[in-house]
Amino acid sequence: MRMVIKGNGAVAHAVRLARPQVISAYPITPQTSIIEGIASMVAEGKIDAKFIKVESEHSALAGCIAAESAGARTFTATSAQGLALMHEVIHWAAGARLPIVLANVNRAMAPGWSIWTDQTDSLSQRDTGWMQVYCQSAQEVVDSVIQAYKVSEKVLMPTMVILDAFFLSHTYEDVEVPEPELVDGFLPPLDLPQKMDLEHPAALGNLVFPDRYMEFRRKMDLAHQVALGVWDEVGREWGELTGRPYGLVEQYRMDDAELVLVTAATTASTARVVIDALRDEGVAAGLLRLRVFRPFPSGLIRTILAGRKQVVILDRNCSFGHHGIFHQEIKSALYELSAGRQPEVHGMIVGLGGRDVKPEDIRGMLMGVWEGRITEPVTWWNVLDAESAETGAVAMG
Amino acid sequence: MVDLNPKMLEDIPVTSYSDNSTVLIKTGAWKYVQPSYDDKLPACSHQCPAGNDISKALDLLARGEIAAAARLWRAGNPFPASLGRVCPHPCEDQCNRKELGGAIAIHMMERFLGDRSLEPGFLPEPKPATGKKVAVIGGGPAGVAAAYNLALAGHEVEVFDDKPAAGGYLRTGIPDYRLPKDVLDRELALVEKTGVRFSVNTRVGRDVDFDELRARFDAVIVTVGFHGSRPLGVPGEEHEDVYNGVHLLERILAGERPTLPKRMAVVGGGNTAMDVARSLLRIGVEPIVVYRRSRMEMPAIPTEVDEAIAEGIRFELLTAPSRVVIGNGKITALECRKMRLGEPDESGRRRPIPVEGSEFAIPVGGVVTAIGETAELDFLPEETRDGWRIAADDRFATPAEGVFAAGDAAFGEGTVTAAVGEGRRVAMVVDAFLAGQELPAAAPPTQAAWERPVNIDQTVHVEQLNPAYFTAVPRPEISELDPATRRTSFDEVVRGFDEEEAIREARRCMVCGTCNECCNCLFFCPDVAIHKRSGAFGFDIDGDHCKGCGICVEECPRDALSLVEVKS
Repeated sequence: MRMVIKGNGAVAHAVRLARPQVISAYPITPQTSIIEGIASMVAEGKIDAKFIKVESEHSALAGCIAAESAGARTFTATSAQGLALMHEVIHWAAGARLPIVLANVNRAMAPGWSIWTDQTDSLSQRDTGWMQVYCQSAQEVVDSVIQAYKVSEKVLMPTMVILDAFFLSHTYEDVEVPEPELVDGFLPPLDLPQKMDLEHPAALGNLVFPDRYMEFRRKMDLAHQVALGVWDEVGREWGELTGRPYGLVEQYRMDDAELVLVTAATTASTARVVIDALRDEGVAAGLLRLRVFRPFPSGLIRTILAGRKQVVILDRNCSFGHHGIFHQEIKSALYELSAGRQPEVHGMIVGLGGRDVKPEDIRGMLMGVWEGRITEPVTWWNVLDAESAETGAVAMG
Repeated sequence: MVDLNPKMLEDIPVTSYSDNSTVLIKTGAWKYVQPSYDDKLPACSHQCPAGNDISKALDLLARGEIAAAARLWRAGNPFPASLGRVCPHPCEDQCNRKELGGAIAIHMMERFLGDRSLEPGFLPEPKPATGKKVAVIGGGPAGVAAAYNLALAGHEVEVFDDKPAAGGYLRTGIPDYRLPKDVLDRELALVEKTGVRFSVNTRVGRDVDFDELRARFDAVIVTVGFHGSRPLGVPGEEHEDVYNGVHLLERILAGERPTLPKRMAVVGGGNTAMDVARSLLRIGVEPIVVYRRSRMEMPAIPTEVDEAIAEGIRFELLTAPSRVVIGNGKITALECRKMRLGEPDESGRRRPIPVEGSEFAIPVGGVVTAIGETAELDFLPEETRDGWRIAADDRFATPAEGVFAAGDAAFGEGTVTAAVGEGRRVAMVVDAFLAGQELPAAAPPTQAAWERPVNIDQTVHVEQLNPAYFTAVPRPEISELDPATRRTSFDEVVRGFDEEEAIREARRCMVCGTCNECCNCLFFCPDVAIHKRSGAFGFDIDGDHCKGCGICVEECPRDALSLVEVKS
């Protein structure tokens, strides 16, 4: 069924189709309309679930953990400070191998107080064991939430489905929302291999001594390795059902590309316009869009980028004291290439706190690198510096 | 089962779990504070002059355990059926439900439980006889409450009263439309069942000598109350149609229908004035209440004033008599002056000041005075008197060895409920005295006599409750005879609750400060360290595993748990 909905509405409809039994959530801008939509659907009987109103995000996820431990399919959603507040139980959900699905609307961390998009909140949860999918459109949001349940429940790892604040969360799009029968055929009811059982009482998450702890962690890492293949397979299966296949990454005009832009989320849409223009001008430019960031498709990215001339990586985030996180990850993936196959890599830190990333910005970065005007490994793009401003400090709005 | 000797990664479960018991892990060793079941005084009981255990009784009633609730209410209070009708219920002013739908109708609960326990089976089991003898002078609420509790404590008690029947002000001062006399008679009959002997028509000082009582009894309690009336102090008040309100009321309540003028001024603003005015109305006299201050300063129970107004009784407020006008030997009017209110006096109420030249006449054929009562204490030795009061200290003891006192003549609290409470308290003191114990510095509060342990130093107000657990539920309507009907009869005005209404209202009670086994503590305990006692009330806390997190205390809806420091 075609609907004109926002990214947040897309999450709510996908959750409805996934038939969770427990939703436990706390509102935060710009995530609020997700759970408002879900709450309405629960109230109207469109979702047969228990909606738990909690007093904090920590409790929101704790509620999902408890319900999922008992074998219920669950959902929660949050953003920025809320995700940070969940952090302790974010680890717990993964370590307990609970296939929870969480929608995170990327929002900049305070201070300064901001409600606009930025990837630092979700990337700060990189090492918790959660899988992460970055979406570029409301259609991809619907499709990814449903796929996330299938992959998570196969590999017993939770997934964060991530969407940009406002550019995606609050922008209306024409979306094909699948019919319930289609999703029911795709996503069977949850049947956890290990769950609470009144007949067999047990302590979950109990003390584990040094002689065994590593084995549990090894299993989590193996699950991620398996998940790479599962995401690929599930994305293909979804394509067969709906005509919209998904992979771990998306390539655009990459066949003969010598200059490659790597980015994720909604910036990719803007980038496509620039790539098309550069192609018209005779520059062999292409786009590699990161979609599944955890598990990280190292081998695939290495294969795609091997032998390209120049790679420009956009990071809407920064790991202070090092550089952009996508930049780091991609560089580490390229390390195994032989010297002759290594592309020249440039990182761009852009669009933090929701600052626009316009076509002219992307063109400026790509052409700056292509024409040899940008040579530094990392650039803070379009930010006031000692030469461009009297004080050198960034003015407050 | 967990494979304890895994050989391969596949032998290890997907995540850690243990089907062994965690009882071995004594998390209790971590604690520096621990929860303790700690019933506190609910705001209602804190305010109850009679010391009723309201929350516990209402909890029992809410569960449908009517007999147990009624037995508890009658345990130390011989007059629940009477007090439920006449008490001004200060408990309801303090009820924590006030802002959550309205105070619990506690007086209706007391009346219901009182009416349901008018049989000997509801009396507490008396303690073994001690052989000690106590004389109580005055069979009013204070004296009877003292006698009842002392008889139940095993002492031999004789009550002396100069009237033909005991009951004191409950009988002589409260009209039937508020307290039907058969209710009072049945409650007094129950007191007699506990072994109390009533010697009526016996006035101490006239029929029996005070010193003789002291010699015959191990202790004497004086609870004579207020029965004298203060004079108006205006010219003309010696006329035969100027009546003493207390005495006139007593005659009407005893069934007399004296020939009275058609229109009478009732001077005063207290309960006696209201009772006189409303009783006169019922025997065909038109009363006019004359009071020197405003409605706000009236000492009468506000609902009594409301009911009098509803019955059409005329009030002349800010008005004080200056002269009884007599013509041809008959009263023709009460001359009055208008008053205005000045600064507050020692009672805290604003002092009335006459307005110069404001004299006016209220045409009446008679006047009733109800401006305050005094005690008649001539029979007492000088050392036990302090002006018009009995010289009783905080222990309810007089300077004479073995002579104690309670009630209005000692403390002048002015309500039947306070008198009952003082009776309960003097009984505790006298019981200790008879046991040869040293008397406490002050008489213990009534709640000290409760069977269940309660922390009487702490009161649970609405701030101490957990608001997550309570929502507003409206207070029920209390139905009354319509004013037109009741003006002409002494039928009871307020209709009591039936069983269904009483239980429904009891369920509205939040049972403040009192464990009611809601089990929230048990549900919330993360260490499974709280266990319901089997076959007994309450819970046990397993100290080996309670780690002192305090969640049970936080989640107790009614502040019936406290955290206490663990002393190492």
